[in-house]
Amino acid sequence: MTFTGLIGRICMFPLRLIINTCVALRIHPNVLTFMGVLINIAAAFELARGHFIRGGVIMVVANIFDFIDGKVAVESNAVSAFGAFWDSVIDRFSDIALFLGLIYLYSHLGRTDYVMVAAIAMMFAIMTSYTRARAESLIKKCKVGFMERPERIVLFMIGAFTNRMAAVLWVIGVLSVFTVADRIIYTYRELRSTEQAIA
Amino acid sequence: MTNPATLPMRVLWDAFFWTYERATWQYDVMVIAILAFVWLTPPSWLADPMASGHGAIGWILTLLNAD
Repeated sequence: MTFTGLIGRICMFPLRLIINTCVALRIHPNVLTFMGVLINIAAAFELARGHFIRGGVIMVVANIFDFIDGKVAVESNAVSAFGAFWDSVIDRFSDIALFLGLIYLYSHLGRTDYVMVAAIAMMFAIMTSYTRARAESLIKKCKVGFMERPERIVLFMIGAFTNRMAAVLWVIGVLSVFTVADRIIYTYRELRSTEQAIA
Repeated sequence: MTNPATLPMRVLWDAFFWTYERATWQYDVMVIAILAFVWLTPPSWLADPMASGHGAIGWILTLLNAD
């Protein structure tokens, strides 16, 4: 088993308990999704005030909701097309909220350079989701590139807990640029091979 | 067998054009590289507005300069 696979398995134990509780209490997955964004906004407020540890703790709670909503939907037979749409839209708000918190903080500190780093990282993080959504309206699957939402969120937490947010923003920014490029290249290749097969 | 001359380029291309799943050894290597960058780079190299201290590389450099 790989190192990251082992961490995933360890984290699943407490999450399994929370998922079972939510299913037993019949909490609707869309409500969990919405609670996730509200808590993420609270985390963004803490980041904006420079309280990284507090922001990190709130992010952990928010992302438990983000993580379990899909699993609760499956286990309570509440899977719906709207639920998937709602989840992906609300996730974008959560992403943007965290970046905005950091943009506010850096602008308050008079650090225009890091305002730009955070803004560019935010732009490419959103484009990562957009390119996949748009690509999958044209091709079957477009799941290439490293920097997806779970990686982004874990990096935010690491940056908050260890006070290394600047390095994290550089990593998110650079790898999100690569991810968007990967998705454009992959979609181009797939569409071209389909066109050639038809011709 | 892969041509040794093209191997570094192949590794770089595979890291850029990422197609590996999570929980693979390639994913682990990427995670370790990212964590090394985040934790080892001295905050002053990135002009980090919030972090303090020298980071692990800065600490090692200070030790080496002290000798």
